[in-house]
Amino acid sequence: MSVTDESGFSRRSFLSRGAVTTGAVALGAAGLAACSSGSSGSGSTSGGSGSTNAKPGFGSGTPQKGGSATVAIIADIDGFYPPANHWDTNGYLYANTVYDPLMAVAADGTVQPYLAKSLTPNSTYTQWTMKLRSGIKFSDGSDLNSAVVKANFEALNASLLTGQALKGIAGVDTPDDLTVVYNLSDPRPQFPSGLTTQVGYVFGQAMIDQAAKGGTPTPVGTGPFIYSSWQPNDHFTATRNPNYWRSGLPYLDQITFRPIPDDTQRAATLKTGGVDLILTTDPVSIKAFSGQSQYQLVDSLTGVIGEPTVAFIMLNTEVAPTDDLRIRQALAKGLDVNQVLKIFGSGFTRPINGLFLPGSPYYSDTGYPTHDPAGAKELVKQYKAQHGTPTLQLTTVPDPRLEQLVAVIQQMWNQVGFNVTVNTTQQATLITDFIEGKFQAATSYQFGNIDPDLNYVWFSTTTVQPVGSIALNFPRNSDPQIETALLAGRHSSNPSERVAAYKKLNERLAADLPYLWLDQYPFAAVGDSRLQNFVGFTLPDGTKGYGFNEGIMVPTQMWLNR
Amino acid sequence: MAKYLLRRLIQLVVVAFVISVLVFLLVHLLPGDPAAQILGANDTAHNRAVLNKQLGLNLPLWHQYFFWLKGVLHGNLGQSYLNHTPVTQVISTGWPIDLELIIISQVIAFAVAIPLALVTSRRPNRPVDNISTTATFGMLALPPFVIAPIMVAVFAVGLHWFPATGYIPFTQDPATNLRDMILPSLAITAGSIAVYYRLFRSDLISTLQEDFVTMARSKGLSPRWIMWRHAFRPSSFSLLAAAGVNIGALIAGTFIVEYLFAIPGLGYSLVQAVNQRDYLVVQGITLVVAVAYVVIQFLIDFLFTVVDPRVTRE
Amino acid sequence: MPDDRELSDTRAGGRLLGDQVPGLAAVDELVVSRQSESLDSGDVLARKPFGFLFWFACGWVGLVVLAAVLANVLPLPNPNFQNYNALNAPPNMHHLLGTDDLGRDLLSRLIFGARVSLVVGFVSVAFGMLIGGTLGLISGYKGGRLDVALNAGSFVLLAFPAIVAVIAIVAFWGQSLFKITVILGVAVVPLLFRVVRASSLSFANRDFVIAARTMGATSARIVFREILPNVVPVAITFGLITVAGVIVIEGTLAFLGLSVALPTPSWGNLIAEGTSNGALSTNVYIMLWPVISMFLLLLSINLIGDRLRQRFDIREGLL
Repeated sequence: MSVTDESGFSRRSFLSRGAVTTGAVALGAAGLAACSSGSSGSGSTSGGSGSTNAKPGFGSGTPQKGGSATVAIIADIDGFYPPANHWDTNGYLYANTVYDPLMAVAADGTVQPYLAKSLTPNSTYTQWTMKLRSGIKFSDGSDLNSAVVKANFEALNASLLTGQALKGIAGVDTPDDLTVVYNLSDPRPQFPSGLTTQVGYVFGQAMIDQAAKGGTPTPVGTGPFIYSSWQPNDHFTATRNPNYWRSGLPYLDQITFRPIPDDTQRAATLKTGGVDLILTTDPVSIKAFSGQSQYQLVDSLTGVIGEPTVAFIMLNTEVAPTDDLRIRQALAKGLDVNQVLKIFGSGFTRPINGLFLPGSPYYSDTGYPTHDPAGAKELVKQYKAQHGTPTLQLTTVPDPRLEQLVAVIQQMWNQVGFNVTVNTTQQATLITDFIEGKFQAATSYQFGNIDPDLNYVWFSTTTVQPVGSIALNFPRNSDPQIETALLAGRHSSNPSERVAAYKKLNERLAADLPYLWLDQYPFAAVGDSRLQNFVGFTLPDGTKGYGFNEGIMVPTQMWLNR
Repeated sequence: MAKYLLRRLIQLVVVAFVISVLVFLLVHLLPGDPAAQILGANDTAHNRAVLNKQLGLNLPLWHQYFFWLKGVLHGNLGQSYLNHTPVTQVISTGWPIDLELIIISQVIAFAVAIPLALVTSRRPNRPVDNISTTATFGMLALPPFVIAPIMVAVFAVGLHWFPATGYIPFTQDPATNLRDMILPSLAITAGSIAVYYRLFRSDLISTLQEDFVTMARSKGLSPRWIMWRHAFRPSSFSLLAAAGVNIGALIAGTFIVEYLFAIPGLGYSLVQAVNQRDYLVVQGITLVVAVAYVVIQFLIDFLFTVVDPRVTRE
Repeated sequence: MPDDRELSDTRAGGRLLGDQVPGLAAVDELVVSRQSESLDSGDVLARKPFGFLFWFACGWVGLVVLAAVLANVLPLPNPNFQNYNALNAPPNMHHLLGTDDLGRDLLSRLIFGARVSLVVGFVSVAFGMLIGGTLGLISGYKGGRLDVALNAGSFVLLAFPAIVAVIAIVAFWGQSLFKITVILGVAVVPLLFRVVRASSLSFANRDFVIAARTMGATSARIVFREILPNVVPVAITFGLITVAGVIVIEGTLAFLGLSVALPTPSWGNLIAEGTSNGALSTNVYIMLWPVISMFLLLLSINLIGDRLRQRFDIREGLL
């Protein structure tokens, strides 16, 4: 089952500032020198943690019950009903209060049952049997049982927004109250990872009924908190679920989220004590908070499980001049990524050569072109002899940082012989342009997912369409070797086979060059000294969880040092 | 009187209607597809067609417009395509915010501009006058998006007198509400202070040269009495006129301040909706803005008749 | 005690305002109340000299305009050239005003930015005055159905939230100096129309106009020979105020990414750059120079406008 993570498609961006959008680029987060110990999976941390010696983001000492925490996020959720909405990082933060997912990611990268008790495949990975935990109730008192889970699936499947993601599931059976059987149309060893995303969050029957009548459903979930009130663009509040199935949890009495779109203002609100925790992707803020002992800073620069969100320039392989491989190679060689990162963040993030970072099992030397202006000039000269000076339009969204970035890149490319014009397009139009292939080069960022298979749809040959038609493979890079690799990775349960497959994908991308890689897109959470354990999420059996999934945190075990 | 009111009411309806048509056409001309926005990674030709049909976007434009108009007449302004919030809810949350921002900022503006003008108009081109002029122009040259971060850095982060962002409805907690709204209002008020001060001062200077003032002086009346009793009222025409135009511009013009201070006002919702191609929200808010504008102009015209009885309503 | 206001009838001359099409009678009042009685009278009083500040203001405006016009010829580095070895440099010998975070020279960007801001400011208002002013002039004098229609039209345009229109048009049409100027020019047309109309209206029933009509002058002659010269001072004053306003609005549009396409500098987008993303704490010079320049320019423009008005306004000339 392929579930596409929607992290590239937040529409909550006013002016595309700061929000997780397809247009922003991650540049040079501060060098957060504190090392993450081993494979904690919670990202690197730095800064002090107030009065205790705990690592930032974790708590030490006995958790105290009670209190109300406020979290400032970047943009608002578009809604609480999974079949009708797209959740980005902000959306998942909200969702983790009132819902639980069927499966969750552990710190070691494995996918473990969470709301489910177990999920076991048959020998060919075409059938998965899920056992639910007994005695769990939704916030409206109804029981969590297989009927509800099946109803969930049917609602998601019927929806225009999520149906696509569930294409691999042929049918769902419910042999008894606590057993759900998923029958897949082809072998999917990675099936569980999809259930950690939006389609795995379980919502109550009441919501389905409400939606069927045409209303906007009030959130009903099994989560640690209960929906209290939501004022779009203002705040969302949830209160403690006294009957939560994980006994003793949550610690907080109440949690409130406030979307604050402007990065500087969000940071200012933390400094003035208006909120306890902020989420940010702004390198300036991250840098400002690092090394400050009264704040706890956690970031995603290390310890990302699966694929990190990466920033890149996307090239359209179906329009001139970027349809010519020499041009794409020249663009890659002409781009001095080190210099770019130096300008935008003192060079603390490193250039990437593909989808994976050093430390990931999938990482390899992909053969991605290095900075080589002479080589670039040569290629341009060759092209010029045949077709004249290559002109190119580089598009981005109206975000000051990005506009500066493209100005820098424009100069670099002009210096090797291109004629580059810069263009800003609004977010709304840019998404449509990507989908319809009406661009030449554009800034973007994407691909954060806990399993590489979840990104199938972006690279597959089956999602390539001519310019003017709708295609999810935006660069329209049709490479049969990539398709083979993707399918091998999807259907194999052998870790080394998968590693080989995705390394192949990475190498093909480095050869085809539909993407010019920049760096990792950083997510960071900054908490004041009161809030404890905001990334110390553990699974019900005590296993350490993936507490900081590129900005996504779980509020269950957060507590306030009052 | 009744005839006058009826005429203004008709004017209101006509203006609202014309503007609703204009904005409808404008947003539908925008490139970019709401369906693509909503579908995201699920964008296929089939899905788009289905979604467009569901949202009514495949109908001819005039048909869509009349659907919407019919809804408006029944009090139903539709829903956001993206988060399904009823447009009426967006408006009902937003308009008190804009109202409050306008009221506070204009009160501050008048409270500063009027006394300042009263003082400096008596002795024009003296140091006090020149300093005031310079200062007010300084404020004019600093647009809200420049003033706001500076004020936050000084008064919020630095002195902790005010919060950096946030909003609570007045009805819920007046004290915190006012505290939250001070910095945003100050960001807006700067431009207004400059305009009001300059206009009022200039008018006062003219009025003070009028014959009737000379007459009052020759009667031996004190300067302060003259200022308040004789000069103030006739000079306030400009002020009133400028207030009308200024407030009209502010009705939806507060969006930058709302964005920076994370306040869910109409301005921010409107701009966000345009950017996201959320047609119904745009149409709904624009309608409200236009109506508010006409109502405000009506009030200003009425105030004119109060200030100067020679101006009749007819 | 006699009603003081009866002692003078310098206000609200001519037709009763607000009776044609209600709404924005306010603006009409505003204009009329600021006009003086006899602009074409033969009274010649001792003309007060302009004063030092006036010439200083003229000097500043002149300097800015000259620098903007001669930008290409001046020995300035390319405003878009990025020097990665001089990022965020404070003012020094090589870069008199410092550099920004991409190493671009701030003085050069300031001067080339002046070019954009001045063009946007003056040309858009000139355009607005040409169309709105002419229409207002004619409409104010003629009255009748044309006047009612134009007045209603301008009211509707002013009631429309401009930001929606700007976002939509920029998204549809694109960004360039020309396009932005046209958009803002169109946006100020209704405002200038109303102002000039009110002024024209106030002169339409004056004695000298009636006299000219009695003598058989055509409407065209009356409008352009009798009314226009009297309307010009008001038009200039408000025009200058509007120029100031447009220059500031360009800044707001730049903040939203709706002004000229980057990396072309304009004062607006320099200020926007300088106040975003924590630039205020990293390098305050980026926004400081354009803010100061804009401040001085606004001050100068209004000072000039004031002094000119005083010069042609008998009453104020007595100060």
